[in-house]
Amino acid sequence: MQTDLTFEQVVSDHQAMVFRTLLRLTGSREHLDDLAQEVFLRLYRALPSFRGESLLTTYLYRITVNVAQDEWKRRRRDDRTHISISDDTSGWEDRLQHPSRNAEQQIEEREFQQAVEEHLQRLSQIERAILVLYHQEERSYEQIAHALNLPIGTVRTHLHRGRKKLREALQTHQTEERRVAWTTNR
Amino acid sequence: MDYQPMNQPPSPPAALELDQRLTRALEAVPEVRIPADFAVRVASQVPARPVVSLTQTHYGDYAMFLGIVVTLAALFIFGLHTSDRRTFNLAETFLLTDFIGLTVWLSVRRHSLR
Repeated sequence: MQTDLTFEQVVSDHQAMVFRTLLRLTGSREHLDDLAQEVFLRLYRALPSFRGESLLTTYLYRITVNVAQDEWKRRRRDDRTHISISDDTSGWEDRLQHPSRNAEQQIEEREFQQAVEEHLQRLSQIERAILVLYHQEERSYEQIAHALNLPIGTVRTHLHRGRKKLREALQTHQTEERRVAWTTNR
Repeated sequence: MDYQPMNQPPSPPAALELDQRLTRALEAVPEVRIPADFAVRVASQVPARPVVSLTQTHYGDYAMFLGIVVTLAALFIFGLHTSDRRTFNLAETFLLTDFIGLTVWLSVRRHSLR
């Protein structure tokens, strides 16, 4: 990385990945800009020691997860109220495409998506990071293990455990919703 | 990415459907709004790399020369003033090794710098 122009190119090439990963990991659009900036500044500082042992993207994922973890710690210190991923003018789930679905299905799907996001934020940091890297970023077990500096077996276990927790939470959520709907209809 | 569950019995259809919906939800990529000038802004904030001086210095060489002279002087002083043969041998061997080592290292280094 010899010049600023090259670094600008690196930022430009990876900014979308950093923004969406941070959004999913922190569950909030608040300070997203600042956090993404922090990721790239850390990358820049680490570049002299980057010896090309791993892909730049893997290295960047590691920094992104670290920045998200620092943000969680900061929030815990500040004891801030949880802000939803959809706290903007409109939630990003609204803009997800559901081709050939009727309005009711779309609403149902949106609510389900929102429930997933909420429960995702209740998982442990490592489980959430692994789920996001695996499903959203489509990273392999090896790449996740490398990015998070964990054994592959641990990655698999966390992924399985995280999904199980999410599934159970969603099942409870759905049962509760059906019970409420049934009570109000009576 | 298709999720392969770990050694589990086949799930009933409802659980399977929930699992598929969960995978779809997790795979949904959030839409983000990135400021148009983000890359430029970040690149402009990175600290400038310190300028590396390309002027060659010879502090190490000078120190080596000084070391050789001091070792040589010490050898002479030991030779003139030490009466205890055992102590003399030990000190002489140490200083002589030091002297030879420094001389060889410096001559090889100077040769390689040419």
